[in-house]
Amino acid sequence: MMVAEVEGLSKRYGTVQALDRVDVAIEPGCTGLVGSNGAGKSTLIKLLLGLLVPDQGRASVLGHDVAVDPLAVRAKVGYLPEGACLPGDVTAADFVAFMAQLGGLPPRPARERAAEVCYQVGLEEERYRAVGGFSTGMQQRVKLAVALVHDPSFLLLDEPTDGMDPQGREDMLDLIARIRGELGIDVLVSTHLLADVERVCDRVVMVHGGHVLAQGSIAEVAGTTEPGFGIQLGDNGPEVAAALAAAGLEVRPSGEDLLVQGSSDLVRDVAAERGWALRRLVPRAPSLEETFLRLQAAHGGPVTREAAAAPTPEAAWGVRR
Amino acid sequence: MTELTTPAGTIYDRGYRHYEGPREGRGRRMRAIAVAGVRRVLGLKRNWKTKVIPWGLLVLAFGPVLAFIGVRVLFAEAADEFFTYAQYLRIVAGLLLLFAATAGPELLCPDRRQNVLALIFTRPVTRADYLLAKLAALLAVVGLIAIVPLVVLFLGNTLTAESAATYLGDNLDDLGKILIAGTALTIFYSVVALAAASLTDRRAVATAGLLGVFLGSSALANILFFTAQFDGRRWVAFLSLSGLPGRFVDWLFGAPFDPGTLADQAGFTGPGYLVAMTVVAAVAGAILTWRVLRLRA
Repeated sequence: MMVAEVEGLSKRYGTVQALDRVDVAIEPGCTGLVGSNGAGKSTLIKLLLGLLVPDQGRASVLGHDVAVDPLAVRAKVGYLPEGACLPGDVTAADFVAFMAQLGGLPPRPARERAAEVCYQVGLEEERYRAVGGFSTGMQQRVKLAVALVHDPSFLLLDEPTDGMDPQGREDMLDLIARIRGELGIDVLVSTHLLADVERVCDRVVMVHGGHVLAQGSIAEVAGTTEPGFGIQLGDNGPEVAAALAAAGLEVRPSGEDLLVQGSSDLVRDVAAERGWALRRLVPRAPSLEETFLRLQAAHGGPVTREAAAAPTPEAAWGVRR
Repeated sequence: MTELTTPAGTIYDRGYRHYEGPREGRGRRMRAIAVAGVRRVLGLKRNWKTKVIPWGLLVLAFGPVLAFIGVRVLFAEAADEFFTYAQYLRIVAGLLLLFAATAGPELLCPDRRQNVLALIFTRPVTRADYLLAKLAALLAVVGLIAIVPLVVLFLGNTLTAESAATYLGDNLDDLGKILIAGTALTIFYSVVALAAASLTDRRAVATAGLLGVFLGSSALANILFFTAQFDGRRWVAFLSLSGLPGRFVDWLFGAPFDPGTLADQAGFTGPGYLVAMTVVAAVAGAILTWRVLRLRA
């Protein structure tokens, strides 16, 4: 059974079309929901929680139609919202226990479970301090404890590593991986950091401008970009790129290298014909970020030279929309 | 030295466990919000600064009653005419305004200002549940000041009377009036205070606004009545929001209005002021409901 399904879902804010007839299927496991700021990620999450009413389409979560029974959905779902949302003058333990009671736990089990979950997310003695004095990383942990405390079957995490320092981000990603791996809770992680998705998720949904660009397993989606080569040929300048493109290769800059997709024999031939020194040629694995940037550009996102030159994603890679 | 042959204790890594205990329903979730609200208003489990106003007002509400009962216990008849229930309720009405003006915003404003609603409404809690729970919390604490001290006073009078049974028989109607007046004042101040709090997410603005409207309306009514000449001038008595509860209480306990005052000269009786309180509370309730049901998570 799908954890969540969305069919033809649309939502407009005034003149802004936040989501436009999107179809999404969230399978069990950890799924990354990626997109730039304003892509429609948070809107999709709020529609799944029944906090927003769609203009059209339907959504179901854990077998419940969100429009018909939003309270049943919320009883089984944990949510970590983006941004500040914690009361400053209450201790973490008290607030997590309060939120456990709102999830249906009686007062005493709520307090006990709040203490356990705070410990699990790495809040030990700090849980008896007022939340207002916490660092961003600790506040994210409190929010994660709130999301977990009523023992949900499905977690919706909206930008869980937002504003965290590198160590805190690593810790949060470890926690998310544990939640899925050890606790068996299905997770949807919304983020604009593709590295986070590659680290903890096994599936991904890419959104941009209210549309779904691609969805599937990380390997499937990243695999839509063929393996290529990072090369340093001559000065790696525009003339080199043009010569490679003329030879039938796809070329775009990637750091100090040119990323080339196609046969390495063609690279060798171009180098030999032009007399350019081939100083470096290394295989490059498919990257989720490269796929996302290419799809985004093809759908009206930031246009780059390589994106403009690329064929449509559907034609080139058979991406499911 | 004794050698330990058995372990003194064992450390378990409990890990994360799924919750398999009972789940409670809507009523208990609302009760959790209400209890948290009462704690917040009284400053419980918060720093001492948050306790100053609510506990100070509670001391002012209960202190005279307890002192009066103590004096009666010590000096018997000497304290018979210290103050009446109506006089005490008029004093309490001022405290209630102050208390509600600080407690109402404390209940609603921080949730919006700190965006806590983004978490609360992602639980199986409706806006109506939230509204009713917050209202219940404020009714409980305002009722604590409006009703309980007078009930304590009544019990004190009964127990310190020469014959408790005789006092109870002669004055039982006062207990009914205490409950009616206390309930009316509790509902009036609670609904109005929450309505004011629903209009802003800043506590100080809500408190100052509510006090300003109550005190300003009273001043305006007096100025209009005593300085202007126009037909139907006496109706401005109903503009004085802070005067409505006291006049209703005076009428209920059979106490005359103070001579020369707006209430005395306007010529209206208690039921008129009760209707005015009801209209104000109904309008405030409509504003409150409209605002809370439109809250966004």
